[in-house]
Amino acid sequence: MVKGKSYLIGAGISVTIIILLIGFVGVFDVTAQPKTPVDTQSIQFRPDIVFFDNMEAFGKLEKTKAIFLHDQHTDVLEKKNKDCLACHKTENGRMSPKFMRLKDVGREELTKIYCDNCTKCHTEMIAAGEKAGPVKCDDCHMERPLIQSSRVPMGFDKSLHYRHYRAQKNKCDRCHHEYDKKSQKLFYAKGKEGTCRYCHKEQTEKDGTEKVISMRFASHLACIDCHQKTRAKHMDAGPLRCAGCHDAKEQLKIEKVKNVPRLKRGQPDNVIIKTGDKKGHIARMNQVPFSHKSHEEYNDTCRVCHLASLESCATCHPLVGSNKVSKNGTDIPLKNAFHKRGHQSSCIGCHESKQQDKSCAGCHAFMSKTRQQESTACLRCHMVPLPEKTGVLSTSRAAKMARLMPQLWKETFAPIYKVNVPKTVVLKDLVDQYEAVEYPHRKVFDAMVKKLDGSKLAQYFHYDETTLCLGCHHNTPAGDKPPRCGICHDKPFNENNLLRPGIMGSFHQQCIGCHQKMGIEKYTGCTSCHKERKKQS
Amino acid sequence: MSISRRKFLGWVGAAGLSTTIGKPAAAATGKHFTGYPNSFAILHDTTLCVGCRTCEAACNKVNDLPPPDKPFTDLSVLEARRRTTTKAFTVVNKYDNPKDPKSPVFYKKQCNHCLEPACASACFVRAFKKTKTGAVTYDSSVCVGCRYCIIACPFEIPTFEYDQVLTPRIRKCTMCYPRVIEGLLPGCVEACPMEALSFGKREDMMTIAQERFRRYPNRYVNHIYGEHEMGGTSWLYISGTPFKELGMREDLGDTPAPQLTAGALSSVPMIVGLWPVLLAGIYAVSKRKEKIAQSEQKQALTSALDKESPDESDIKEES
Repeated sequence: MVKGKSYLIGAGISVTIIILLIGFVGVFDVTAQPKTPVDTQSIQFRPDIVFFDNMEAFGKLEKTKAIFLHDQHTDVLEKKNKDCLACHKTENGRMSPKFMRLKDVGREELTKIYCDNCTKCHTEMIAAGEKAGPVKCDDCHMERPLIQSSRVPMGFDKSLHYRHYRAQKNKCDRCHHEYDKKSQKLFYAKGKEGTCRYCHKEQTEKDGTEKVISMRFASHLACIDCHQKTRAKHMDAGPLRCAGCHDAKEQLKIEKVKNVPRLKRGQPDNVIIKTGDKKGHIARMNQVPFSHKSHEEYNDTCRVCHLASLESCATCHPLVGSNKVSKNGTDIPLKNAFHKRGHQSSCIGCHESKQQDKSCAGCHAFMSKTRQQESTACLRCHMVPLPEKTGVLSTSRAAKMARLMPQLWKETFAPIYKVNVPKTVVLKDLVDQYEAVEYPHRKVFDAMVKKLDGSKLAQYFHYDETTLCLGCHHNTPAGDKPPRCGICHDKPFNENNLLRPGIMGSFHQQCIGCHQKMGIEKYTGCTSCHKERKKQS
Repeated sequence: MSISRRKFLGWVGAAGLSTTIGKPAAAATGKHFTGYPNSFAILHDTTLCVGCRTCEAACNKVNDLPPPDKPFTDLSVLEARRRTTTKAFTVVNKYDNPKDPKSPVFYKKQCNHCLEPACASACFVRAFKKTKTGAVTYDSSVCVGCRYCIIACPFEIPTFEYDQVLTPRIRKCTMCYPRVIEGLLPGCVEACPMEALSFGKREDMMTIAQERFRRYPNRYVNHIYGEHEMGGTSWLYISGTPFKELGMREDLGDTPAPQLTAGALSSVPMIVGLWPVLLAGIYAVSKRKEKIAQSEQKQALTSALDKESPDESDIKEES
């Protein structure tokens, strides 16, 4: 019995020793070999990489995605006097962007089309003693490819649209179309033109029985075909190579038309945005007159604001929405859509993004995003209708608008700032260390007024002659004589008002903060504002 | 006496087992200390700091430190990464701002005054003390100069006066303990022209930080460094760039340093108390076994001899 116990203890200890040995000495070290690091320096970036990602539709890939350099192939074929038809087939006189086929096929067949056709051509070239692409699987399907895509997305802006419009001799039907489900054909509907992306989404989608091809497929099908045919007529046409559209540098070379005439799509000049209706949604705020025409000038595309269609906002965004969030955002009520922060399509979102501009950020970066705006700010958009004058009896929409707009425009875009601003203000708070500071108050104010020039948005919202003062003299009644800063900002770290800085903190935060945000680099270090104390003799 | 190898290993095994039977380690420290009520803290808002080094100058002045090699108005020192020294309890370092390369970020480094300081837990003469103001103070009169605190500190703050042969001291920020108990602001806080440093109750400092997050949603990384790091510190930081990019450790975790060592240290008294008893017991048992074996042998021998020659029964055994 005793002997048995000792054996057990002995066995236990041997096991412990072996475990320790494994741990410390690494007798059975089976840790994986470290991966060879990829030298980021040697990676090449190209805009013309095509990944055959349509294979992903069939589930997990057997091998890594092959890398295909499209422009390289185009160039080689050009040298051999071959055209695109060496790889692409045509249907109804239009070249398909698909490789060596017209319709989608099954996994095996697709693999065969790619592998066989690629290797066939490569083998032939090698046999002829020429330089050619890979013929082995892993040379295309590389584990860690040294080439990466630098492709940038492409889209039409106003200028490019106008150039196409001009070149097509104002024939919108050359590109714009609708789909007729009955006859299963595309047709042109005048006055219904919209952004391609409204129908052609990122992925090919099935709309009932019909497929709506993806934006990528549609654009390559239509754009390249037209460019090719135009070039065949020895006329100027857009790019055929990938880089022409998708390379960042090449994109900059695209000619820009400066004064693009307004698009003709029956859009209104001015709109009144409803805040209530006759069905019982009581209007809490005044209606908003909106100049559609001037907002067209500020944006490059319609889809910046019109996310899903060129219809009026209320078509998708109801006055009263449900709290559910639908996939396409159509349940978002009108007021939420307009007031949404941080979204370029909403009024507030876009206007606030302009506040980040250097000219504006000096004041606006320090304004709390939670503070309730004064009601006067709301009224800049939700305008109080002008009193009805005798003689103008009509209250129709158009008449109201006509009455409202010109006067407002005249008043608001020509503000006159005639505030009595002192020339200098002497700040003696740090006289124990430095000479008193002579703050050039009027110079600063004049500079701020000058910043408003050329920005209709800024002029519109800094409507009052004292609005600009509020950048520094905040929380005080607007007027000629704001209270001294030190009345509120005295000693720092007041427990009753934790976020209010003391006098020294508030001045420095305001002055230095504003200068930093506005990119004014003249003032750095203490002595650029505070002159060294003269030695008293 | 002779101990067989087998027996010895048996004992070792048993002794090893006994150490694992002890109480769970965490229980030994009691509760996690969340700071004295109404203790003070300093909030450093790196988005406000302009790197003027006024805090460094003020620190030098209030602590009567020797004048620096380069004057505090010389901002070129910011180009190099600096550490706290025996002559500078706080240093401001400059870091690149990936958001806006033109305006770099400045981060002021000094003792963070942990709620449960690692230096104090490592010190066996109790030279460090977490005071009710929030400051971790140091008493040079009891210090033996072992420098365990330097090794224990996760923020690499305490420094040692290697140049003092007879009376070397540990030097670090005192959070201006003598000034604070007099009702004054810490030197750096009082001097900061931008109010990038706020001083007050720790709860209030947290409120300020959170309110700033709320008011300026895009300006900050939504995290208060020091709220939970190393169990919480009395210096808190908020920043627009990730703290990692300001050379601040993000791998420290929320566990206070003393809790990390408490498990191992709590078993010390048990081992010290239990092992002698255990070993003595094992020794006594084996000794008794031997004795019994001997007496049995002796009995067997005598009885055998008795049977063979009863006359030689008076033979004495030599032991």
